[in-house]
Amino acid sequence: MRRVLAVSRNTVREAVRERLVLVLGLFGFALVIGSQALSPLALGEGRKVVIDFGLAGSMMLATLLSVFLGSSLLHKELERRTIYSILAKPIRREEFLLGKFLGLWLTTASLLVGMAGILASVVTVAYGDTPWSIFGAVGLSVIELGIVTAVVVLFSAFTTPALTAFFGISAVVVGHFAEDLRYFASKGAPLFVRALTEAVYWTLPHLSVFNARGLAVRGIEVEPERMLFALAYGALYIGGLLVFAGTVYRRREFR
Amino acid sequence: MTARLDRGLFWGLSLTALLLAGASRVEIIGRPRLDRIREEELLYYPSGFAVRQAAIGYEIAAADIAWLRGIQYYGEHRITDQKYALIGHVMDVVTTLDPAFVQPYVFGAFVMAQELKQPERGIELLERGIRANPENWKLWFEAGFLHYVCLHDIAGAARCFTLASRMPGHDPYVERFAAFANQRAGNTGMAILLWKQVLATGNEYMQDVARRELKRLGAL
Repeated sequence: MRRVLAVSRNTVREAVRERLVLVLGLFGFALVIGSQALSPLALGEGRKVVIDFGLAGSMMLATLLSVFLGSSLLHKELERRTIYSILAKPIRREEFLLGKFLGLWLTTASLLVGMAGILASVVTVAYGDTPWSIFGAVGLSVIELGIVTAVVVLFSAFTTPALTAFFGISAVVVGHFAEDLRYFASKGAPLFVRALTEAVYWTLPHLSVFNARGLAVRGIEVEPERMLFALAYGALYIGGLLVFAGTVYRRREFR
Repeated sequence: MTARLDRGLFWGLSLTALLLAGASRVEIIGRPRLDRIREEELLYYPSGFAVRQAAIGYEIAAADIAWLRGIQYYGEHRITDQKYALIGHVMDVVTTLDPAFVQPYVFGAFVMAQELKQPERGIELLERGIRANPENWKLWFEAGFLHYVCLHDIAGAARCFTLASRMPGHDPYVERFAAFANQRAGNTGMAILLWKQVLATGNEYMQDVARRELKRLGAL
């Protein structure tokens, strides 16, 4: 475990050094503060608009950060040839991959939690009450980020950065479409298509499970059962993806 | 050095003046066309269902954008031609994206009833809101308001006010209106009370309309 933590610590350090983190962090900060400017235009719904935009913007930025940092995560090690010196040490490839995953997840989750903290402070100052309910929604979003990061790590284990980014974004889009995909297939599609859709439906990450932003805006706390279910589902999905990624990465030949 | 600075300032100011002149010329020539484009842009405003599919988990934020656009649309037409033909469509998009967002039902219904003189459409929108949020007293109250003030349907209003008074979290004045409507209070007296309620609790635009109506009824 110490080896995994050492890799993840280095990944966080490396990510923080990237300008992208700084730019996205500043952009997120500006977005949260800027959404306050829209408040007078919302006809009495300023608080709702500020929280909505703040949460949606923070999550979108954290997802983008995860995809774009993650896509070059392993490729950079190979390009700089540092992978050879790392793997020459007593560390297994799966541990290296797990460390990279944890480091990236920690970076993006910290950014998300930080932006949520800023949002809560802005709302508290502007409207006089702290929107505690947003933290439950952010907790679910952190698990969603874990899944996105695991998908990105999986693809970065065997393909190019561009393809990894493409597959990462696709996973996010399709992950929110899972229910609709099943619904459309149930409307008179041939049996084979329906069976295929059903298989795809169960394989895809159901990201809507982690979306409680609508509740948070209305001050409704995420129920503990939902949180537990999301946690269990997220842990299983992330675990499955990482096992698969580790298997692929172990067999990969570096040239 | 000073001369170079002066020359730079001269050219900078000249360029700024030229840009301002150009921009105002474009504004004068292009304004009617821009207005038409803006109207057309809303005509192509996609349906709430389509936006919901495209929003990939960000429906609530998309609803807010549509809401801000709807208010902007209302504001633009309020100071120009006072035509609000597409307000129903915009509020339909907002409420499809976020069915629990109560304000668009109320605002949309209010504009349709008061500005477009189509209270039935307004009540239809409120009924949709009630189906999505059956325990929200505000929607029942607004439906009662439109029944009373616009349709002069006292029985319908009494039924809505009574239901509003049975919903959790309602304001104390709701019971008063339920009682008035059930006693078949005089049309004008009750209407004045209702408009005064809007003046006290409505948003900026609703307050403007309430002031206008109260003046018309000689109560302000």
